[in-house]
Amino acid sequence: MEETERTRIFMERINAGEKIEANDWMPAEYRNLLIKQIHMHGISEIMGAYPEKEWVPKAPSIRRKLALNAKVQDEIGHGQMLLRLAEDLSRPYGRGREELMDDVLDGRVKFHNVFHMEAPTWADAGVIGFLVDGGAIITQAMLLDSSYAPYARMLKRIVAEESFHMQHGEAVVLALAEGSQAQRDMLQGAINRWWEPMMFFFGPVQMGKGAQRMMEYKIRTKTNEELRQKFINRYVPRITSLGMTIPDSELRQDPDTKEWHYSQPDWERYNAMVRLNSGPMSQARIAMRRQAHEEQRWVREAMNKASERQVSEHQPAI
Amino acid sequence: MQDTVSSEYPVFEVFVQKEPLGFHTNVGSLRAANPELALQMARETFFRRENAYDIWVVPQDCIFGTAHDEAHLPVSGLDKGYRLPGGYDNASHWKKFRAKAMTIEEVAEDMRS
Amino acid sequence: MANLGESETRALIQLIKPIADDEWIVGHRGSEWLALTPDLEEDLAFSSISQDELGHAQFYYELLHSLGLPSADELVYLRPASGWTNAQVLETPNQDWAHTVALRYLYEILDDIRHEALLGSWYQPLTDGVRKIRMEEKYHLQHFATGFELLATGTELSRQRLIEGIADIWPRLGDLFAWGGSEEFLEKLGLPNLAQAQLRHSWTTRMEKTFHDLELPWPGPMPGVNVNGRNGEHSQNLSKLLDVMTEVRQIDVNSPW
Repeated sequence: MEETERTRIFMERINAGEKIEANDWMPAEYRNLLIKQIHMHGISEIMGAYPEKEWVPKAPSIRRKLALNAKVQDEIGHGQMLLRLAEDLSRPYGRGREELMDDVLDGRVKFHNVFHMEAPTWADAGVIGFLVDGGAIITQAMLLDSSYAPYARMLKRIVAEESFHMQHGEAVVLALAEGSQAQRDMLQGAINRWWEPMMFFFGPVQMGKGAQRMMEYKIRTKTNEELRQKFINRYVPRITSLGMTIPDSELRQDPDTKEWHYSQPDWERYNAMVRLNSGPMSQARIAMRRQAHEEQRWVREAMNKASERQVSEHQPAI
Repeated sequence: MQDTVSSEYPVFEVFVQKEPLGFHTNVGSLRAANPELALQMARETFFRRENAYDIWVVPQDCIFGTAHDEAHLPVSGLDKGYRLPGGYDNASHWKKFRAKAMTIEEVAEDMRS
Repeated sequence: MANLGESETRALIQLIKPIADDEWIVGHRGSEWLALTPDLEEDLAFSSISQDELGHAQFYYELLHSLGLPSADELVYLRPASGWTNAQVLETPNQDWAHTVALRYLYEILDDIRHEALLGSWYQPLTDGVRKIRMEEKYHLQHFATGFELLATGTELSRQRLIEGIADIWPRLGDLFAWGGSEEFLEKLGLPNLAQAQLRHSWTTRMEKTFHDLELPWPGPMPGVNVNGRNGEHSQNLSKLLDVMTEVRQIDVNSPW
């Protein structure tokens, strides 16, 4: 069959709401968009572990320490599931886990702007769970309907786990809001730091070519601005109910259209941060990933070497 | 030494995915001379009355399983409430601030609209 | 615990506190590995194990609280270094992966022996918990035993690093088997198998077999107790660990967090 004919049939399937599987024929553009999206999503989960990880040793109670530990573990788990999908999609290009992870170290894959930022207080650990996870949940809930079935399936699992993250983040924030003046000040400080990055998080109103094509392929189903509006609509009342303020004097809702007006984040600054890994914590966190991945390649090599012998001696299970 | 050919087919475990967003689940096993035949036989063995979205067959000796004891199977020893949404009582705290608690199901539902 | 006499209560505290502290410090150091282990799958496994260890410590601290000590959170967050009774070697900052696998394997063997012996206690709140803990500990031991074996039999480099890790840990193992003060309390609790000499013997027997099977050089004579963490004797490593651990809590010790 000719390429154009195959593509036409493929688009018919997409438009009919059918789901695409890993081994189905797909246009190279669809595959490449998926790889780019899922690779970045997976790596963002992994890099997103670092700002919160710093607070696990310092978590202020036994329960918080356990919960934050479990939460960061889940983020790594999401990264693992998503990377496996990206690895399967990358197989025709001869690229696997090692290469996809090397891409982080060499700056060939981007990760979300929020994970380039500092998390200087315990309240930041809470606000990341509250706002960043809140934003991620909205984005991921949209992807539950993705045309790429393996992605949608994994998202179902991921979103189910995010439910605990949401409760954890809220519990930390609520405890601070109910606490001493010092705790409330700490919370307000963190909200001030994270609001603008969250406005950037959903991407520009005018979406790039790739994002538009992802809409056409139904890999994603909502525009950046729709997602941002949903986020603002949910989180503004929650933040203000806590007696906290939002660091944006322009923020207001149009009484007729219900549309939120907000100050534009510093697009140039955050774009540069993501593109060049030039945020305040970009290099430090990439260094930690290097320590885990590159500097411990010797462990993975040894585990493989020793296992070659073991597997040949193994008895089948059934 | 003379080569002997066994007349017994190898065993394949059969996994079915019922719907596009479901996971593959093991439904039983069968014998067949090769994977291609195993796939054909799976249709006849397990899906005479049911639909399937996708079927996998896996040579049984490629499956490594856990031993059925505590060291091998995930069992929860002590309380793990801290990592379950139900382990939190945020609703009563939100109420103090005159705000409503939010659930992930509600967010997911909202995204479909 | 109305029917516990004062001396039984004291004996139980003397028994449980060092075990609780060992588990906590091991869980704390373990969680420092979060997002830094050699592969993503190991991160998931190791994090669960760390959570388990912290959870075991929490169980023991709650038991200690029921015996009259401060609450679990207070025991963790408001105790000076001199009040901690963990074995000193466990407070060592994390080094390379082989070092951690070696330390954890050596520790998990002791933990296994210790928990098995604890099942012989007449104090039911303890044995009820230990039974649940053992469900998780069996898996921990299996995980580190596999890791230990694979590093020992993997590449030249992994074997070398494992041997170096063991060599670093070995001379500092002494107080791991020890108790604080006299061992008379074990008599009162009917747990003679937990005496230091017994623990050392059981541990050495199992360790000799592993070293023999994996053709690892025996690291030398078992060290005695030079400094005893069980009596609150610790290195700077523990005070540094506690400074980090309590940093946030110290902002307001009484406020809920």
